[in-house]
Amino acid sequence: MPTENLCDKRMSKFKNKGKEPTKMRDRRIAECVELRKAHKVESIMKRRNISSVGDEEPLSPCENTDNKQVISETIQEIVANVNGDCPEKQRQGCQAARKLLSRERNPPLKEIIEAGLLTRFVEFLGRNDDPTLQFEAAWSLTNVASGTSWHTQQVVEHGAVPAFIALLASPMLNISEQAVWALGNIAGDGPSYRDGLIDCGVIPALLARLTPDAPVGYLRNLTWTLSNLCRNKNPFPRFSAVQQMLPSIIQLLHHSDKSILSDACWAISYLTDGPNERIDVVIKTGILPRLVELLGFEELTVVTPALRSIGNIVSGSDLQTQAAIDAGVLSALPQLMRHPKSSVQKEAAWAVSNIAAGPCQQIQQLITCGLLAPLVDLLRNGDFKTQREAVWAVTNYTSGGTVDQVVHLVKCGALEAILNLLQAKDTKTVLVILDAINNVFLAAEKLGEVDKLCLLVEEVGGLDRIEFLQNHENNAIYRAAQALIEKYFSEDGDDQCLTTEATDSNFVFGASDLQKRFDF
Amino acid sequence: MELNDGNLQTLTEYLQKTLIPDPAVRRPAEKFLESVEGNQNYPILLLTVLEKSQDEVIRVCAAVTFKNYIKRNWRIVEDEPNKISDPDRTAIKANIVNLMLTSPEQIQKQLSDAISIIGREDFPQKWPDLLTEMVTRFQSGDFHIINGVLRTAHSLFKRYRHEFKSNELWSEIKLVLDTFAQPLTELFKATIDLCQTHATDVNALKVLFSSLTLISKLFYSLNFQDLPEFFEDNMETWMTNFHNLLTLDNKLLQTDDEEEAGLLELLKSQICDNAALYAQKYDEEFQPYLPRFVTAIWNLLVTTGQEVKYDLLVSNAIQFLASVCERPHYKHLFEDQNVLTSICEKVIVPNMEFRSADEEAFEDNAEEYIIRDLEGSDIDTRRRAACDLVRGLCKFFEGPVTGIFSGYVNSMLTEYAKNPGVNWKHKDAAIYLVTSLASKAQTQKHGITQANELVNLCEFFVNHILVDLKSPNVNEFPVLKADAIKYVMTFRSQLPKEQLLEAVPLLVAHLQTESIVQHTYAAHSLERLFTMRGANNATLITPAEMAPFTEQLLNNLFKALAIPGSSENEYIMKAIMRSFSLLQDAIVPYIPTLIGQLTHKLLLVSKNPSKPHFNHYLFESLCLSIRITCKANRDTVGSFEEALFPVFTEILQNDVQEFVPYVFQVMSLLLEIHTSSIPSSYMALFPHLLQPALWERTGNIPPLVRLLQAYLEKGATTIASTAADKIPGLLGVFQKLIASKANDHQGFYLLNSIVEQMPPDSITQYRKQIFILLFQRLQSSKTTKFVKSFLVFINLYCVKYGAIALQEIFDGIQPKMFGMVVEKIIIPEVQKVSGQVEKKICAVGITKILTECPAMMDTEYTKLWTPLLQALIGLFELPEDDSIPDDEHFIDIEDTPGYQTAFSQLAFAGKKEHDPIGDAVNNPKILLAQSLHKLSTACPGRVPSMLSTSLPAEALQFLQGYLQAATVQLV
Repeated sequence: MPTENLCDKRMSKFKNKGKEPTKMRDRRIAECVELRKAHKVESIMKRRNISSVGDEEPLSPCENTDNKQVISETIQEIVANVNGDCPEKQRQGCQAARKLLSRERNPPLKEIIEAGLLTRFVEFLGRNDDPTLQFEAAWSLTNVASGTSWHTQQVVEHGAVPAFIALLASPMLNISEQAVWALGNIAGDGPSYRDGLIDCGVIPALLARLTPDAPVGYLRNLTWTLSNLCRNKNPFPRFSAVQQMLPSIIQLLHHSDKSILSDACWAISYLTDGPNERIDVVIKTGILPRLVELLGFEELTVVTPALRSIGNIVSGSDLQTQAAIDAGVLSALPQLMRHPKSSVQKEAAWAVSNIAAGPCQQIQQLITCGLLAPLVDLLRNGDFKTQREAVWAVTNYTSGGTVDQVVHLVKCGALEAILNLLQAKDTKTVLVILDAINNVFLAAEKLGEVDKLCLLVEEVGGLDRIEFLQNHENNAIYRAAQALIEKYFSEDGDDQCLTTEATDSNFVFGASDLQKRFDF
Repeated sequence: MELNDGNLQTLTEYLQKTLIPDPAVRRPAEKFLESVEGNQNYPILLLTVLEKSQDEVIRVCAAVTFKNYIKRNWRIVEDEPNKISDPDRTAIKANIVNLMLTSPEQIQKQLSDAISIIGREDFPQKWPDLLTEMVTRFQSGDFHIINGVLRTAHSLFKRYRHEFKSNELWSEIKLVLDTFAQPLTELFKATIDLCQTHATDVNALKVLFSSLTLISKLFYSLNFQDLPEFFEDNMETWMTNFHNLLTLDNKLLQTDDEEEAGLLELLKSQICDNAALYAQKYDEEFQPYLPRFVTAIWNLLVTTGQEVKYDLLVSNAIQFLASVCERPHYKHLFEDQNVLTSICEKVIVPNMEFRSADEEAFEDNAEEYIIRDLEGSDIDTRRRAACDLVRGLCKFFEGPVTGIFSGYVNSMLTEYAKNPGVNWKHKDAAIYLVTSLASKAQTQKHGITQANELVNLCEFFVNHILVDLKSPNVNEFPVLKADAIKYVMTFRSQLPKEQLLEAVPLLVAHLQTESIVQHTYAAHSLERLFTMRGANNATLITPAEMAPFTEQLLNNLFKALAIPGSSENEYIMKAIMRSFSLLQDAIVPYIPTLIGQLTHKLLLVSKNPSKPHFNHYLFESLCLSIRITCKANRDTVGSFEEALFPVFTEILQNDVQEFVPYVFQVMSLLLEIHTSSIPSSYMALFPHLLQPALWERTGNIPPLVRLLQAYLEKGATTIASTAADKIPGLLGVFQKLIASKANDHQGFYLLNSIVEQMPPDSITQYRKQIFILLFQRLQSSKTTKFVKSFLVFINLYCVKYGAIALQEIFDGIQPKMFGMVVEKIIIPEVQKVSGQVEKKICAVGITKILTECPAMMDTEYTKLWTPLLQALIGLFELPEDDSIPDDEHFIDIEDTPGYQTAFSQLAFAGKKEHDPIGDAVNNPKILLAQSLHKLSTACPGRVPSMLSTSLPAEALQFLQGYLQAATVQLV
């Protein structure tokens, strides 16, 4: 989840001279433990097919019950039908299984697997002579693969992958679509299955179906599956695969359907969520202006991944950030910083924080494009997660900005706003704020206006809060607060080297030994 | 060590001995136990004693000893031996939880601490079953055991509240959540049910409510880092129950104690914290619950009494409202005029009231009252919380809130007017309300700097404040008088000067009041008014304007020091200092009397110095008396010495550590005033000043160096002639100081004075040693500060003894040394030298090296000549440091560097900057031009050729400017 583990590697290159880069922003840590629920706005890794086909009869009671015994009896019947030789019975059994697996609640994935049905279903995928059977089997397997990793693993280990890839070429659109879907679920499981699919040649097979006459519904599934093939790190999908998919994804980004746009954007966001070489590949496609355009869309489902992609890109190198700036991202951001959804505000603030971590020319562009006012608004009124990002923006800005730029930010009210946030119940945020305060003091030192700044900090109640932090349980916080107090609101320091002999009444004057050569 | 009865017996005996007060018995026993604690089985023996002993005291003692043993030894430090054997570790972890839970409370607490120390190291990896073991106990149904588990869990988990996010930490939390969150939730529900079942059994309720408080604390810890999925899914359960608990009351749990918070209050305070956490961090998810909590907490506030025991709860609850009301999307909860009115009326106003506890403090504990009221150490008080709520509400509703409060202020003032004797507290609250409403920004130095424009501060001053100040009976309604005085002080920057001038004599009169708070506030207000600046940076209030009140001011200030309880009142002493500083010459006629009083005071406080600020201002006042008087007439210095030396002698003889640095500073000031040679009274003291013991105290170093400099300035020849044997000791001090990175600059101050003042012959024999020491330090630890001082010193030496002498002494220490110093130190570092005098010394010194040192022209050093000249031009063309304007008057104690440290610099003992070169060189640039001219005439052609071959054009241009200004030419 890119936003949570924000680590700006640019830090180490040119900012925060003399500071441990790890002390600054820890973004993009490879794996990250999460306590929260998965993000609701993220695109879904796996999807189950529960849409009932139009001409279906309503579900029979047994298909809608949680009664274990009823289910077990149904499954036994399915097993008998499927394992038999009668095509009619096979179709019936397969359909019954598909219906069970398409229930809204508690589909018996495990029970179906344990009943040993997967071997037969995979076998049925190859039955070109019986499209109905193929379709029902593909649907059932799609839904099994939509479960946990273990469920997906069962599908893969029963050899479904080559069979599904073959089915992509099916003349029956509904069967091909089901295969696209199943492959999407498998790809979404993680990097190893994703790469397995790529090894099996899934990409050319998918791209072959990307034709102008393909219906929108089909294209939606296809786009989603492509996006899952771009997804996940450790390792990233290999470059050649990305190169293969990119032109089509770019093409899809110009589609008019919102759902396709959304998944294509998610694909871009995955591709940009990596080292700078990965970001470069995307930038070179010339897609930046279109991404910026998408930032202005109404639909949250499009804006969210587009913003995520932009956020990823501006966390890249200075040149990459500049490319985004040149594409006009700075005129799109203020509106997003004032977006009614706080999740969008947060992502926008994150992007700003990364631009603020750039050289002072880019910081200057933040000023010119009027981003400081909305930034200060977010510091004051954003929800906590947004405020946290905005605080990072201030710290990055103050550590890389010129004295004049820092003064400008303070005049916009940022200092007062971050001082208020010293009460935040988040240790890291507090530390980051203390860092920003220190940066502002360094600027004031250069201007000889430390006293004035001290008064300002005191006036807005900041001194009280910093003093209060000297009692913080966290050592880093208490030390940082104490350092500020000692340096700017009082004074001292000490260290010893050579020694001098002394008697009761005098020190003994004279150099101790004959010195070795002096060399300075 | 085997686990046998004999060893248990021995251990018991030693434990017994550690309880005996006589150190002769106790110490050896403690030593013995420490000497055997490295043995295997020792901790197991301790736990066995703890478990089996019949003697309750021994059991507790074993528990404490065990906990301390764990604290010292459990952590495995890299590269150090493991201090507890692995079998012992395993055995401890296997038994301790059970042992803790089955022990009586006193032992339980010790073992619980021990578990959390072990847990900090071993949990979760090396103690995987700890949590499950604990969770199983939830089912025991025994709340003694359950509370033990909860307490231990709390000490294990509370670090989640302050540690930084990391994968390691979050993995641990995740693990804890997986095993602990569900059982904790079940326990929470079960406990609440039990509270209903046992609603009439007070003892059961007490236990259950302490469980609930612990559970709520655990909730806070587990939810601090991020909102866990489990708690998001179970928010309904937790929040509904928290909400119910907030609204719950049970007569049985109400305590009679007015001071100590009871179980209900503790629980509700924690719930307020939990709600505040969610409101701040998990806004989106908490939104549906928030309005309910706002209402509940507000009702809680309305129904909670004024007793001290509710203070924490009330201030937490108000802080919750304060933090919510300034969030834009909750603004609507407060918008309604009725809601605002009722918050103002029922929450803010009652909590601003002057309570009987405040009244007691005002009368009986003035010092604490002042600290809380004046210096803002009131973070947790109700008044402070209420003020914060006012400010929070003003963010969106400044107009309506001001309107509502104006109504209140008026009605409270009307109430007061009806019967002041009974209703004076109404006026107090009104003033407090106005103050909190009007203050938008405030500093110690200036008071309120930004005020609410909707409040008419001047009108209020004229109509309600001045009346009290003018009241002929100054001792009536002391609280209201103190409020009025404080009002003047708080709004001093907002009130027009005429009103301040009108207040001054009234404040002077209040210096005489009986109430400590009242006369302290009067002194403090005057002191603050005297620091205000008007046009041209001069004081706002002039000595001329003060003339009519000068005598009374001084009289009253000194009389106030005689009021019981105020004999060492720092505010009064500070006001004395500030008055002296403001009035200057006007105090001269009073000094003969006042100096006696000050000296007397000094004698008294030196017996037992206890108020550092008071003492500091006392010495500052002494310095001011001396400076102001001697400025008018230098000869009076003798009378000050006569008055002060007896006390000073006593202070030095008794080694009153706090005062010694002050005495040295005052003595420096006095000695510097002398025009003729050094008085013998000072010379007698000289050897004592060199005693190493004095220099061991860092606080003594700056004033002692300053004093020795004064000795050298006034008495260098006397020292050379009558105390030559002390010179090595003096240089020893220099050596001692130079060795310290913190004090090396002080060493250079001393060395510069020695070189400048001492007759050259008297130090000839030591010169080489001095330089060797400097080089050693340069080699071992070269810091910027040292290099800067070093550069100033060698250039001063060059000015005093000549460039040839400098070059010869360097090269005499080591061949080519001079070139190395020029190349590696002078050229690259000279631009770092700061300070006008310092730069001038360097400029003159380098000019001499360039033009008066043949070695620079004729040896391999010649290649350094142009770079050195370039460095000098660089030094000239750097922007000069602006000299600091002479506004000592405004120097505050907080401004003087080092007050917090042992050294307390007296601002008014300040020394004028000394320029050893003085008028001999007015313009170093001209000196350079003239010197170059002289050099070029001595060896025609060489200088221009060196310049033209390697001096950069820009530097050359500057140089030509100097030559033109000096009207000389190079040949």
